[in-house]
Amino acid sequence: KVGSENGLRLLGILDVQNTPCAREAILHGAGGSVAAGLLYFLATSRVKRSFDVGFAGFMVTTLGSWFYCRMNNAKLRVQQRLIQEGIKNKVVYEGTVMDPTKKGKAEAPSGPS
Amino acid sequence: MAHPSQLGFQDAASPVMEELLHFHDHALMIVFLISTLVLYIIVAMVTTKLTNKFILDSQEIEIIWTLLPAIILILIALPSLRILYLMDEINDPHLTIKAMGHQWYWSYEYTDYEDLGFDSYMIPTQDLAPGQFRLLEADHRMVVPVESPIRILISAEDVLHSWAVPSLGVKMDAVPGRLNQTAFIASRPGVFYGQCSEICGANHSFMPIVVEAVPLEHFENWSSLMLEDA
Repeated sequence: KVGSENGLRLLGILDVQNTPCAREAILHGAGGSVAAGLLYFLATSRVKRSFDVGFAGFMVTTLGSWFYCRMNNAKLRVQQRLIQEGIKNKVVYEGTVMDPTKKGKAEAPSGPS
Repeated sequence: MAHPSQLGFQDAASPVMEELLHFHDHALMIVFLISTLVLYIIVAMVTTKLTNKFILDSQEIEIIWTLLPAIILILIALPSLRILYLMDEINDPHLTIKAMGHQWYWSYEYTDYEDLGFDSYMIPTQDLAPGQFRLLEADHRMVVPVESPIRILISAEDVLHSWAVPSLGVKMDAVPGRLNQTAFIASRPGVFYGQCSEICGANHSFMPIVVEAVPLEHFENWSSLMLEDA
């Protein structure tokens, strides 16, 4: 991974720059944390509990954003592999009876003259 | 190949290694969140002014800290088992190569069509050409066609060795008297380095593995040349 040795590692372990979806998840988590904590404080004026709610918001938002992004990435990866297989098979089958683009134009077997 | 002060995995060169990288990212995010939670709880416990000596039980928190770890473990186990079974799939290999571990070099045999075999010794540091990698280069590389399923049969002639190429996501012990099988697909052309991964004597660190993935046409040319030289 290019520049992985210079990447920012949260808690020394999570490379947010080079791990797909990590940066977005952490940013969404930070936003969710601030929003949840602030709303709770505005509603209840309890400072310490607001920090707890904010932290819970961070966990939930980070996890949710992470799984949503990873799920989409996984679907894209599956599609990419299908497309790659399709391209490879197109080259292999091109011009043969198995060529899908030749449907309807398949050579008819020659009958008795 | 690896670079100095590297902490993470090398770039994936096979579909299995790609899956392993993704799973590692997934597990690492879970580990990061758990670590953050523990850190927060420690800070909260250290800074609290509340003291209650009469808390005996609490059903709610007991349920939470029983269910949550179970859910987390399931979230980790499911993709892990998926990859485990994915790694065991051997789908109609195009080529079978035998890799034999010796003290202290590897030998490769391509016996599907012709009898091709050669030894692969590390290039000593004093014989390296400019740009070559110390302790990683070998005089004869194991050449494989790209995008083809390759089956590797691994064994050893003397003591335990282990055939490992991190960027392909492959590691398999070479056990004398036993034949181990593994498979991989090189997704892209390139040169992939590995090192013996089982202590095998004085020169255990000096018997690298070099896999070169090339287009099929180049592989055919290479194998013809090797047979002529043999």
